[in-house]
Amino acid sequence: MIKATELLYYLVHPQELRQIIQWKTWHNPVHERDESKESATLKRCFFFLDMTSRSFSAVIKELHPELLVPVCLFYLVLRGLDTVEDDMTIPLEKKEPILRNFQDILEQDGWTFTENGPNEKDRQLLIEFNVVIEEFKKIKPAYQDIIKDITKRMGNGMADYCKNAEHNINGVNTIKDYELYCHYVAGLVGEGCTRLFVEGNLANPALLKRPELMESMGQLLQQVNIIRDVKEDWDDGRAFWPREIWSKHVDNFEDLFKPEYKQQALNCSSEMIVTALERADDCLYYLAGLKEQSVFNFCAIPQSMAIATLNTCFQNHNLFKKVVKITKGEACELMTESTQNLRMVCDIFRRYSRKIHHKNNPHDPSFLRISVACGKIEQFIESIFPSQPQPRTTEEKKLTAAEEARIKESAEEAKREMMFLMLAVGLTLFLITIVMFIVAWAAGARFDIAWVQLKSQLGSFFGSSSSTADVTKHVEL
Amino acid sequence: MAANVQKTSSLGKVLVTGGCGFLGHHIVKLIVERHPATQVSVLDLRTELNRNSNTNVSYHNCDITSVGAVQQIFSKIQPDVVIHTAGANLIAKNEVHYKVNVDGTKNLLAAAEKTGVKVFVYTSSASVIYNPKTELINADESWPLVMGKDQPEYYTHTKAIAEKAVLEANRGETGMLTCAIRPAGIFGEGDVQTLPKMVSAYQKGQNKFQVGSNNNLFDFSYVGNIAHGHLLAVQALLHTQKMMPTIPLDTEKVDGEAFFITNGQPVYFWDFARAVYHEAGDTLPLSSVWKMSQGLMYLIGAILEWLFWILGKTPNLTRQQVKYSCMTRYYSIKKAEKRLGYQPIVNLEEGVRRGVKYILQEEQKGKDKKDQ
Repeated sequence: MIKATELLYYLVHPQELRQIIQWKTWHNPVHERDESKESATLKRCFFFLDMTSRSFSAVIKELHPELLVPVCLFYLVLRGLDTVEDDMTIPLEKKEPILRNFQDILEQDGWTFTENGPNEKDRQLLIEFNVVIEEFKKIKPAYQDIIKDITKRMGNGMADYCKNAEHNINGVNTIKDYELYCHYVAGLVGEGCTRLFVEGNLANPALLKRPELMESMGQLLQQVNIIRDVKEDWDDGRAFWPREIWSKHVDNFEDLFKPEYKQQALNCSSEMIVTALERADDCLYYLAGLKEQSVFNFCAIPQSMAIATLNTCFQNHNLFKKVVKITKGEACELMTESTQNLRMVCDIFRRYSRKIHHKNNPHDPSFLRISVACGKIEQFIESIFPSQPQPRTTEEKKLTAAEEARIKESAEEAKREMMFLMLAVGLTLFLITIVMFIVAWAAGARFDIAWVQLKSQLGSFFGSSSSTADVTKHVEL
Repeated sequence: MAANVQKTSSLGKVLVTGGCGFLGHHIVKLIVERHPATQVSVLDLRTELNRNSNTNVSYHNCDITSVGAVQQIFSKIQPDVVIHTAGANLIAKNEVHYKVNVDGTKNLLAAAEKTGVKVFVYTSSASVIYNPKTELINADESWPLVMGKDQPEYYTHTKAIAEKAVLEANRGETGMLTCAIRPAGIFGEGDVQTLPKMVSAYQKGQNKFQVGSNNNLFDFSYVGNIAHGHLLAVQALLHTQKMMPTIPLDTEKVDGEAFFITNGQPVYFWDFARAVYHEAGDTLPLSSVWKMSQGLMYLIGAILEWLFWILGKTPNLTRQQVKYSCMTRYYSIKKAEKRLGYQPIVNLEEGVRRGVKYILQEEQKGKDKKDQ
């Protein structure tokens, strides 16, 4: 299992190994699913959850029992939708109606889909999609409605995107298009989850009144994925970075991957990163609205990973050569910290935004914008956890004349004492110096030579004209 | 609420003191652009510089420390609105600070009340809550003024006294409404403090050095945004004035209040400086910058100050500068956002671009003159 290179890595990074051990030993799930009470189909659903998602399955499985199954099914439904959208072997005529009607499919008993290409990694989920539908029917109708609504909107958004021939040829054009795409594939997930949390009474209903916050939660995660996967996507023939951004730096998208355009590629990635980073304060605001620990963990872990990933991608030219990832040790540290409270997550955000800020290149076109984005995160954290106590009004500490005189007197006395102390120290040092000189002289030291040498050395150090005079004198000696 | 304030073509008769100064002339410019039917009268000690060519702007030489001159000009103009931006030069003597900032402001308040001015907006300073011992981290208007013995900067002391006088004059016998705008770190075209110092530091090669951790956030505000804040305050007060005698809710009140106005974009101190250097032509990579600790530089600053003191000069590097560049000092503008509907109209990047471009153009003009 463990590769030799990994073993070597942790030998030189014991700190990271420690983080992994700590996470594995000390992390107690807030809630644990009770497998004994689960039906065979539900067990199969959890099997698919593990199969299709590595990062989300762990946090989903620790969710509050009220939401465990709904969120798991929500994930599988969207994964199913995504597997249809992603598959380039399915013709558009076939793809479009499935995407647009996926919410109705959720009510068709026994629906399965076997026409995915052989290389589609999650095709088995659709082959056995009937188990998801069977479990879906069992959850509360309110949850069903939320999942169906999001599925409908996402399916239509995806269909629009696929249908738009321009995307297939040129990729995403404007920043607005890019954010719209992220809205369909992730912003809507944020909305769906929030509605589920509120419906389950595990989050503050006020979150629904600030839709931009849940939008940012999804946007940040999706944008980070798009930034990180730029090379992988390009190798698969896809490009999600909007032309509006990359065209400022290079003429053709593929130039980003050429070594001669290294600086341009880095500048372009900075602009992508700052676009995502500007959402970070919204995400912290959102997290402040979550009441229940498992829901908090569920939302906070991916966000912390996202901000750490942004830091790893920032000013890193490997982004255009291979997949860059945060290390396992870093990930475990982040998980330990993100499963505590908002304050810890704020500390993570501040820590990583400062790391980004310190790598910020003054000659990058996005330099000041990045600096402002990092400052915004720090200011937001200060607004919820002020580090500075509010000063009392000056009127309160008005002193009487007598008190003032006393303070002044004691200050003067302290000053006098300090003077005497300094004088005593100075005198002692002076005496010791004299004694040492006398001893040295008695032992035969030649101060006259030392003095001349010192002068000439100082003179040549400062390069002044007097040094030549000193040197001639030295010669005469 | 500013959201209710409609775009009006005229603010009436507006008197701008210090209207030929750095901030003042930007305010005049913005009034002319936004409310073109407004009659603007500029009061300044000298009115040759920074003149606006619009025919609705008139210029009047006036020393605001002279009671008689101020009274006379107020009775002649009969202004509806006073925007008082005039202040003593930072490097002036203490007596001048007091005379201009305190006595001058009181003269204007008295004359304004006598001639029935409706609205009086005072340009204070964000430093009025600054005490040298503490940093300012997201400070808001609930912080107390720091004056007298607690305030080592005499200039700031006088600004605080003046601000207090202005706010106390609110809703006096004549019903005049007042408020104070506290800008932080103004820069932009025509600025003599912030950008020119940084550009000249770059030109002297000081871009190779940097002091401290550079984790300290600082507010720098583009002058156009500060001017915008002043006009929003004028509009809000005129609106409140129309609603009289109805008094607005405490949470919406603008009259008698002070507001911090900044770019709302606190940045790391050295990042701002580096952005200015870059704009002025710097290409030095960050890896070649010497980053020195605050303690060491403070010591060097102290030694230099001492040596230069013997020579009777001030060195390029002083302890105060070291402290200033390592200090966190930024404000919350939530109050202005809520009550004035304030949002910066020019972002930091654009502001730096405009400000540095202006300096370089002026330098070029100077060189061209020399060449002739």
